[in-house]
Amino acid sequence: MEEMRLQGGGTAAAAPIIEFRGVSKTYPTGTHALEDVNIRITGGEFVFIVGSSGAGKSTFMKLIMREEKANTGIIRVNGFNLTTMPRKEVPMLRRTMGIVFQDFRLIPTMNVFQNVAFAMHVVGASDRDVRREVSRALSKVGLGNKARSMPAQLSGGEQQRVGLARALVNSPDLIIADEPTGNVDPNMSYEIVSLLTEINKRGTTVLMVTHDHNLVRDFQHRVIMLERGKIVADNAGGSFQ
Amino acid sequence: MKFSSMRYLAGEGVKNAWVNRLMTIASVGVLVACMVIIGLAILISENVNKAVGNLEQQNVVMAYMKDYNWALYGGGSDADTSSGTDSSASDASQDTASDSEEAEAGTSAESSEGSESTESTTDDTDKADENGIKPSDYVIHNDDEAKALCDEIAKIDNVAAVEYITSEEGLESVKESMIEGQESYFTFLDDEYGNPMSGAAKITMTDMSKFDETIDKIMELDGVDTIQSQSDLADKIAAIKRGVGIAGFWIIAILMVISLVIVSNTIRVTMYNRKLEISIMKAVGATDSFVRIPFVVEGMLIGLVSALIAEGLLYFCYRVATETIIATLGTTDIVYYSDVAWWLLLVFIGIGIFAGVLGSVIMISKYLRREGSEFAAI
Ligand SMILES: Nc1ncnc2c1ncn2[C@@H]1O[C@H](COP(=O)(O)OP(=O)(O)O)[C@@H](O)[C@H]1O
Ligand SMILES: [Mg+2]
Repeated sequence: MEEMRLQGGGTAAAAPIIEFRGVSKTYPTGTHALEDVNIRITGGEFVFIVGSSGAGKSTFMKLIMREEKANTGIIRVNGFNLTTMPRKEVPMLRRTMGIVFQDFRLIPTMNVFQNVAFAMHVVGASDRDVRREVSRALSKVGLGNKARSMPAQLSGGEQQRVGLARALVNSPDLIIADEPTGNVDPNMSYEIVSLLTEINKRGTTVLMVTHDHNLVRDFQHRVIMLERGKIVADNAGGSFQ
Repeated sequence: MKFSSMRYLAGEGVKNAWVNRLMTIASVGVLVACMVIIGLAILISENVNKAVGNLEQQNVVMAYMKDYNWALYGGGSDADTSSGTDSSASDASQDTASDSEEAEAGTSAESSEGSESTESTTDDTDKADENGIKPSDYVIHNDDEAKALCDEIAKIDNVAAVEYITSEEGLESVKESMIEGQESYFTFLDDEYGNPMSGAAKITMTDMSKFDETIDKIMELDGVDTIQSQSDLADKIAAIKRGVGIAGFWIIAILMVISLVIVSNTIRVTMYNRKLEISIMKAVGATDSFVRIPFVVEGMLIGLVSALIAEGLLYFCYRVATETIIATLGTTDIVYYSDVAWWLLLVFIGIGIFAGVLGSVIMISKYLRREGSEFAAI
């Protein structure tokens, strides 16, 4: 299984797609969400982030997408130095990543096609590219025949697959998903993670937060465990579990 | 920015306005009301300016000249040159040799008529005539000199027109202006004692607000004795114009602020309805300007629709009002809507776009600055 990760694109020597060095995050409320976190994630890896509630998993993801800024330390993502990057470059950083939400975040007044197309239109894609890429992304997640359905007509698993198609449609190098299976029943969860694994095999780095130990056990990927804002375990070398 | 993106985002803006239609209609209503009031303020001030302009035309100034009659009746004293003074009044200071009784004071103007010039100099070319008036006693000796003076006056800034009024014409107009029947009391003016009127320049000014400085310049000319005018009317006209201007400015300023608040509030509501879309846009890397465009389009749409409705409504209201005024007062001397229709429409569109764009930009910038929660999977 460790070999499969390496097949995914990265080698230990490759420049990391995500690098945290001595990163701490304290919210204005005084909560120390992350303390002295050091991480290297190589391009092509699939990483589960686990840990109990309040451990700092979401904060870790928010730092990667630069929704929050670290108080100390250095963060590099996809070649961007998030510590020194001005606010107006944040959109460019985000275009290199696809984000999957726990609550799907589909626009209820738009059909499946429009929801996925929205992510392309708002970054300035042409109509022709939108038509081609949206169809491609929908067939990747197995929803080619549901393009005209409204979100409310879909199951939770299907809705999350639309969310996945939307994250994929701009061809990101990195997908980050904070508990994407949190609102999906167990069978569908397996389907979602299978899809993510497939996407990862084609070279996209995947970072996924989850509570589901069964998923972690069954999909043998790298696992980083956070507790009280600190990394307590990391099977980067294949030695975890 | 690509045309397809622009079209897509503009379409989103139109959609916002439609999805939010109750709010849209409400804010269009308020904006239309503001614009109609602004339009009425403009139309009223235009009408006041027009009426005042007509008054200004009628407000002529008479500059009386130092001519023979002035020397004879007025007395060559430069002491009294204030405007509004009757030129025929005189203190008769120079030649009351025959008698200087206090009893004569009440009729001093007439008494000077029979005076003798006893202390005049004896210059060959400057001989006193039978009334004791020498050519050097006055400045304007004939019509040519009077017309030359009129030309001098016409050269002064702010003087629109000058007309020479001879003493005979002056007397005629004085008589005409008298209440019917009183004329007979004043027959002594020409029958018994001769015409006492001096020649005058009838002056029209361009701008009544420069009244005083223009009068000063006219007074500086040699040959001008006194100036008769209704300077208080000039003051009133200037005051009316100023008042209308100030009131108009404040009405427009206040209503502009109201328009801005109304539109930005509507946009704020849209924005909170669109929280989800905004969070997704930001998550996938839309720039702030892309996020802003649909809202700006929505604001502009509200502004433009309001401008068109306001134009139509104001046209209708104004026509009804002016038709009533024409029917009841009989005056047709008003500003017609067709004269101002285009620039009123421009003003409305200007207000609409100002309120729409600024209102939405203020709101969305405020929202974007507090970086929203794209990722609140708590
Ligand atoms: N915006 C915030 N402001 C203040 N405290 C926060 C904020 N977000 C998270 N926290 C706190 O930071 C800690 C870590 O939160 P989080 O990263 O969401 O944990 P997890 O996703 O692992 O459950 C928690 O104690 C949480 O209450
Ligand atoms: Mg969380």
